[in-house]
Amino acid sequence: MTQVTPVRCFSALLLVACLATPIVMSPGFVSVCVFVLIAAIGAQGVNVVTGYAGQLSFGHAFFLAIGAYTAGVLGGDHGLSALIWVPAAGIVAAVIGALIAPTAVRLRGLYLSIVTIALVLVGQYLFVNLDGLTGGAAGRSIPAFRIGTLDLSPGRELQVGPWQLGRDQLYYYVTLVLLVLVCLYVRNLGRSRVGRAMLAINEGELGAAVLGVNTTRVKVVAFALSAFFAGIAGALYGSYLSYVQPDQWSLILSVEYVAAVIIGGSATVFGPVLGAIVVFALPAVIEKLPFLHDTGVAPANVAAIIYAVVIIAVLLKMPRGLIGLVDTFTRRISTPNKLPPSAGDGGLPAEPPAVLAPRLGRSQHP
Amino acid sequence: MSATFEAENLSLAFGKVVPFEGVSFSVDAGEIFAIIGPNGAGKTSLFNTLSRVYQPQTGTLRLEGRDLLRSRPRDLAALGVARTFQNLSLFAHMSVLENVLVGRHHLMRSGPLAAGAWFGRTRREEREHGFKAQEALELLRIADLADTPVSALPYGQQKRVELARAITMEPSVLLLDEPVAGVASQERAAMAQVIRDVHRSSGVTILLVEHDMNMVMSAADRVMVLDFGKVIALGTPPEIQADPAVVNAYLGKAAS
Amino acid sequence: MNTLLQALVSGLSIGSTYALVALGFSVVYRGSRVINFAQGAMVLAGAYLVSWLALDHGVPFIAAIVLAIAVVATGGMLFDATILRRLTAKDINSSVIITLALSIGLAAVIEICFGTTQRELGDPWGADTVSVGAVSLPASRVWGIGISILVAAAFVLLDRGTRFGLAMRASASDEEAALAVGVPVWRVRSLTWAIAGVLAVIGGVFLTAYPSSVTPTVSSAALAAFPALILGGLDSPSGALLGGVVIGIVQVLAGTYQPTWLGDNFDTVAPYAVMIVILLVRPYGLLGTRPAERI
Repeated sequence: MTQVTPVRCFSALLLVACLATPIVMSPGFVSVCVFVLIAAIGAQGVNVVTGYAGQLSFGHAFFLAIGAYTAGVLGGDHGLSALIWVPAAGIVAAVIGALIAPTAVRLRGLYLSIVTIALVLVGQYLFVNLDGLTGGAAGRSIPAFRIGTLDLSPGRELQVGPWQLGRDQLYYYVTLVLLVLVCLYVRNLGRSRVGRAMLAINEGELGAAVLGVNTTRVKVVAFALSAFFAGIAGALYGSYLSYVQPDQWSLILSVEYVAAVIIGGSATVFGPVLGAIVVFALPAVIEKLPFLHDTGVAPANVAAIIYAVVIIAVLLKMPRGLIGLVDTFTRRISTPNKLPPSAGDGGLPAEPPAVLAPRLGRSQHP
Repeated sequence: MSATFEAENLSLAFGKVVPFEGVSFSVDAGEIFAIIGPNGAGKTSLFNTLSRVYQPQTGTLRLEGRDLLRSRPRDLAALGVARTFQNLSLFAHMSVLENVLVGRHHLMRSGPLAAGAWFGRTRREEREHGFKAQEALELLRIADLADTPVSALPYGQQKRVELARAITMEPSVLLLDEPVAGVASQERAAMAQVIRDVHRSSGVTILLVEHDMNMVMSAADRVMVLDFGKVIALGTPPEIQADPAVVNAYLGKAAS
Repeated sequence: MNTLLQALVSGLSIGSTYALVALGFSVVYRGSRVINFAQGAMVLAGAYLVSWLALDHGVPFIAAIVLAIAVVATGGMLFDATILRRLTAKDINSSVIITLALSIGLAAVIEICFGTTQRELGDPWGADTVSVGAVSLPASRVWGIGISILVAAAFVLLDRGTRFGLAMRASASDEEAALAVGVPVWRVRSLTWAIAGVLAVIGGVFLTAYPSSVTPTVSSAALAAFPALILGGLDSPSGALLGGVVIGIVQVLAGTYQPTWLGDNFDTVAPYAVMIVILLVRPYGLLGTRPAERI
């Protein structure tokens, strides 16, 4: 017998809101939602490799690009259906990730971050020069999502019951379904052997190794999974935009994804989704602000300043991110009399109780 | 399960610093073998070498006759060696149960694809190994703390989690590095009893570094005394207690 | 042969600027084990400030540089004191993200204040060039090499010859131990940020002096100091200097001699290719040391 709790009510309402959004809200709003949903899928990738496994990689933009170009080649040049190019985008990116990862993960901490920055920069250079695949600096088109008769090309509409759904709305539902599947995966991963191994590596790599965890293999898996989600997100992104250019796949894009995971809450299921909403909807929100138009200030810059400040605030004050806040809040309203377990009083733990330290990788101490 | 452990002429050096040299000993299957000595005598360095974190410059090390020096730290679990750390190596943001479950990692098989699907192999495994982990928690009387993040626990309970995790690995050799150090005396007795119970029921070989003389002398079958990186005595507890070299170097100073 | 010589000299000049920027990274790393990913943005800020003061407000060039140094150095010190120090030493990932966040935020602020159009630095060397035989270099670049050598020498003197240098090496090596023997670790740390600020501004000046100009892409040029840092070894200032020069030379040689099959702009990417190779083959660089891990 399921209980009616405030949290459950809220979740149900949220579900209804999610499903009703494309029908109720304006196409502009829905369009922003599509970008957010796609970004959330990509953010789950960063969540796996950086949130869970603690490997700070800035290579995400590179794998997003791989996904987009795979979609372009398979769906555009070869006219294949989305049923093929969406998973293929993920798989190609994952394979490349799995090939690069074993050498990359030999590097720790700082060095790994730096080498992934180099990956993005070298990647951009490659994308400009491999113009057969990428259209060079001018860019290339990426096909619309098409499975059989379901065609999301611009201008097409679909009659579903009493509603007429346009391109934005259809992309919304498609990406929503994919995001739900990805979130389910991440949830299951976190509860399983591999997920625990990743968390263990994050907290203490040597300690994990001594327990029998093959740290290299787990890290490679993390990278491959991260690349897989990035590939799918990149493919969907390119498909929705219809056109991509190499200078989009920049270091800044990678940083935005990492920011989304940190702000939302790393190593959680919904944190990356919340974070994606904050980071990727922000420019659109800022654009609506009236006083900005006169000053000629680019919304992207204002957004950059805002989330730079937010990241710093989160890392220093709210390391569990927005989800941490939500969690504390829901715990308070559902069990008001239960205090969180109190910190140790019997003696000093060898390492200071780092309840507030972020789960971002403290891999030098067992 | 239990296994034999043999070390011959082990020496470790970091440049001019020599934590220990010429250490030889052998541990029979099912034996409880204690290693004692003043602080800085090289006990933890020796343990780190036994658990393959450090590579010794000379000597041989055999587990059931197999050359252990060829193994890496992550091979130990599959070889049946479990180790606890003096300064704890718990995963601070994970719960007690999750920490202990990592100990079962090498006994589980579910990979990233199975994990994602959940139903089927992963769910079965999680349940089965979850029970085993709970058993270890119950042994250490911390079953009610299963979902608590370990960083929120007092030190004594953290020590119990570390021990529970080592036990749940189903080892044939347990390397315990000061398992009760820093713990209040009442809890110590309880933990010592757990160690004895585990030993009695599974016959696991135990190598124990400890400062608590009562525990060592009552539990150990044989004791090895290190001082300044060298073995100065090796024998049964009564032999050690009577050995003038040991008394000189160590037992005269404050014990537990 | 002349082309080679010209390339080498040009490489030396750009390399000496990279050396300064890389030294800025290295100094901060030694003081606090933090890689200041915002160094590039500080370089950018320095260049824009000098340009704004010199061109828009007619401030004499040297004075503009001094003022810019004051602003950037103070900003860096404040940032470290108020934000970075709150992180625990082991939390490397957070320091990376925070300095990157600073970098992005700072670049955005600069763009809001100054826009994206190119502007002149306002340097006094103009279009003068200096020629020796078949090799010629813009005057600004010659000054760049000269000043870099001076600054490098000054730094080495500071590091090896003064108590401050000793204090810096002590706190880099073991902060707790340094504190225990009375090294004013926090002050040392602040000073390393100040030095980084000085180096950022000077580097910025020579990266944007004629024939270059002040544009937002300067911070990506500064990013090329990373490979220099890695090549030299993260914790070795002399390594950073050496690495800077080598990377500068590699970059210009790559630009001059790049075969067509490597496509356009291989020279912008060449430093990173070198860096990747170094990280795979010898991650601690030419002069760096492997960190010891205590279990």
